[in-house]
Amino acid sequence: MMYQTQTLPLPSGVDTMGAMTDVDRSDPRDDVPAPGGMSAAESDGVSEPTRWERAADLFARWREGDSRAMDQLVRLMTPVLWQVVRAYGLDHALAQDVVQTTWLTLVRRHETIVEPRAISGWLTTSARREAWRVGKLQRRADPTEAEALEPHLPMHESAEHTAAQSDEARRLWAAVARLNDRCQRLLRVVAFDERPDYARIAQDLAMPVGSIGPTRQRCLGKLRVLVEGDGWGEGNHGD
Amino acid sequence: MDGGKEIMETEDFAADAALFARLRAVWEEVDPVPVDLVDRMVAAVAVEDLSREYALLTLVESELANTRGETDTLTLQFSDGDTSVLLHVSATESGEHRIDGWVDAAALAVKLTQGDREWNADLGDHGRFSFDAVPSGVARVRLVVRDGDLGLREFQTPQFEV
Repeated sequence: MMYQTQTLPLPSGVDTMGAMTDVDRSDPRDDVPAPGGMSAAESDGVSEPTRWERAADLFARWREGDSRAMDQLVRLMTPVLWQVVRAYGLDHALAQDVVQTTWLTLVRRHETIVEPRAISGWLTTSARREAWRVGKLQRRADPTEAEALEPHLPMHESAEHTAAQSDEARRLWAAVARLNDRCQRLLRVVAFDERPDYARIAQDLAMPVGSIGPTRQRCLGKLRVLVEGDGWGEGNHGD
Repeated sequence: MDGGKEIMETEDFAADAALFARLRAVWEEVDPVPVDLVDRMVAAVAVEDLSREYALLTLVESELANTRGETDTLTLQFSDGDTSVLLHVSATESGEHRIDGWVDAAALAVKLTQGDREWNADLGDHGRFSFDAVPSGVARVRLVVRDGDLGLREFQTPQFEV
């Protein structure tokens, strides 16, 4: 099956951070879904070129000497890195620093990257590690701040955005806010990281590796219950 | 019923994917990437990337002033006819140099290189930037500025001696 991927409109609200239009992709898409489960195939059966593949192509072009390809890679992945880093509860300024550190590390250390095709995963993993490290320092430096940071409710920073949302989106957001920290973080990272490396996420969240899949399912399950309004009075304490 | 489980799993998978897509949309709306972060990251990466080609500014004016005894100050002006960069080099008490710079365009990232060493500038408003403690030697400034709505422009100065 061939896909004319570069001419397809983006489904509204879906994967908007992947809105690169000038990447020439005409390869048949891989029909096997990524382990994260949200990358290629959306419900209407249309396959976008996966973001990690576009990232891999741009990185390869940059390494071959096309410096503009790096600009495109930065534009493609920065919004993703932002979401991943913010999942760790860092404030705006620190989160921006972590995103920048991630990019500068890439430029300085790109020769050491073993699997250039997996550049997208390398970036999100580096960003997660740095976010985790910086977050730990921040919590240690200011323990009183930890409580305020942990629940991570960015609602307050963009009330007007929240107000503009549909009822459905607001309900979903309210449900997310009621999940425990670990579930919020996990779902956010998984949602934006196309190919989550479960062993590493587990390490970051101090969970046994085997439990991450089921934990994701439990978090999703709780979210569904909350969204459907069946669990408002009880069972919101997480596991 | 053999196929039943498989169909269920496929449906579950599709439902999960749909929920994740909605979650992404919600997070992107309630906590969007800061407006200028992407441009600033492009600029920061550009000044870091040594393999890039930068438009070379030319030295328009150079003025060495001996103001008070041993305190030399050097003023350099570079331009490409469109964008200008002014550098003001002064000695610090520790025997190094302070470089105050100004560019008549919005600077997103500025870097000074000197041999293997390099410094990123503190960027202020109105195109101002500075480097605090630069040792004597031959240096070069590389910068990325915002170019209207057209995008970003990259420059570097010729080498100069501080």
